[in-house]
Amino acid sequence: MSRRNAVLLLAPGLALLLFGFLLPSVMMLFHPPDTPPLDVGRRLGEMLTDPFMLKIIWRTLRIGLIVTAVCLLLGFPVAYLLARSTSRWSGLWLALAIFPLLLSNVVRTYGWLVVLGSKGVLAQALTGLGITDHPPQLLYTEAAVVAGLVQLFLPLVIVSCYSSLSGIDVRLEDAARGLGASRSATLRLVLLPLAMPGAVVGATLVFAGAATAYTTPVLLGGTRQMMLSLQLYNYSSVTIDWAGASAVAILMTVLVFAVAGASAWAGRKRVTV
Amino acid sequence: MSQSAARARVRLARERRPVLTVLAVAAYLIMIGPVIFVVAVAFTAGSTITFPPEGFSLRWFGAAADYGPFLDGLWTSLLVAAGATVIALAVGVPATLAIHRGRLPGRSVIQNLFLSPIVLPELVLGLALYQQLMVGLGVTASGVLLVGHTLLLLPYAVRVTGASLTLADPALEEAARGLGAGPVTTFFRVTLPVLRPGIAAAAVLGFVTSFNNVPLSLLLQGSGTATLPVAMLQYVQTSYDPVVAAVSVVLLAASVVVAVIAERLVGFNKIFGGIGS
Repeated sequence: MSRRNAVLLLAPGLALLLFGFLLPSVMMLFHPPDTPPLDVGRRLGEMLTDPFMLKIIWRTLRIGLIVTAVCLLLGFPVAYLLARSTSRWSGLWLALAIFPLLLSNVVRTYGWLVVLGSKGVLAQALTGLGITDHPPQLLYTEAAVVAGLVQLFLPLVIVSCYSSLSGIDVRLEDAARGLGASRSATLRLVLLPLAMPGAVVGATLVFAGAATAYTTPVLLGGTRQMMLSLQLYNYSSVTIDWAGASAVAILMTVLVFAVAGASAWAGRKRVTV
Repeated sequence: MSQSAARARVRLARERRPVLTVLAVAAYLIMIGPVIFVVAVAFTAGSTITFPPEGFSLRWFGAAADYGPFLDGLWTSLLVAAGATVIALAVGVPATLAIHRGRLPGRSVIQNLFLSPIVLPELVLGLALYQQLMVGLGVTASGVLLVGHTLLLLPYAVRVTGASLTLADPALEEAARGLGAGPVTTFFRVTLPVLRPGIAAAAVLGFVTSFNNVPLSLLLQGSGTATLPVAMLQYVQTSYDPVVAAVSVVLLAASVVVAVIAERLVGFNKIFGGIGS
């Protein structure tokens, strides 16, 4: 392929990326509509000293980290058992873990309204078993948001851990056990270090998704559990505060990139130990 | 697999792992459980989300079909998903060819540029397009919606078709050229057949991703361009009847059909198993 032809083949894509993605993203930082220059920076400074906004940033970070930790805790065992299974059903179980990715987030989150709602599954079970007459408020809590996000992102962790676990030679694990290592020692000293790259990729995707999700926090947390994503939507579509929306977009992006960088660094360090 | 590995596998599989098993069961309950309750509630005869459902009826399926915004939203979603998938492939497949076969300087920079839209949070991409293209330049909502979804799918198109292109031997294309085939004939007779599984996988993945997207569709909705997931989200925020459960069951059935198609085309686990890596 001549260089000229290659450039021609790239041109439509490059044009789309330039005018549809790069320019709008950069312009959003410096020049939102109807805003004096440098207003985004001023709003960003205000937000970083505003206790209300700091609380939202902290909640976003906290929920993102908790969701990531729970996803790893529950997803790794699924990936491990599937990667080591000799059953002919294991392909079907893997498909069942992946299948929720096809289903709209709205549908999956709606399920938690049925489970956690005031007349929902959990409330009826609690009163039916005589544990309490007045079931506690389950929706619009941080736990509800965490549960919904864990459901959304478990498949990502399972898939990425599965792909690195199924690449590990079973004989390494078998040898460690045969030489007298306990199960937990084998897990800690053999499996986890080898599975780390996949787990780090999965964890990074989960944090990025959980910290920027909109559907699940708005339905299960609402205004009582404000997160950065809800604040961005409020500024851009309810109060039409363009500089504020751009400033929140910067906060959100920086948060995701900082955590991705930190987890990549931690993953590398863990492997070399 | 060698015999020693097979024996090791069998030995390990025989071990009981109670803690791991309990955690794995919890994972499946969290992933699947809520969806099963949605199906149960969709067939209720009552008028609120209550469990167990009060009687059996199909009234909420009728109510969903009669609710205009859901039908309009379904139509919008299908159009946008089909349009964005086709454009992303039409732009992405030539770009992939140029990246892998073009001997260009700075190849990895170009490739990363094509993968970059996926790195930005979707809400942030949506805000940039909304602010700058819709409000700033006055482009129509449906136009910006299509651009946004195409950008969202472009990384998948480039990565998935690129993966199948790296499996192909460039010598085949050179042989075709050497035997007198022109570049266009070579593409359609030699390269495209190799790329076909990758294109099929990218198309299924792209269509599903676009159809289900909320952040971009929510920020970029103009009058009459709300997609089905956005219409459902806004309905759930204002009322508490089970009509969205009925729509969910329809979408669930459609997802099963898509999964079966994906399995026939390339392999379900192959297409969707690549998302996390």
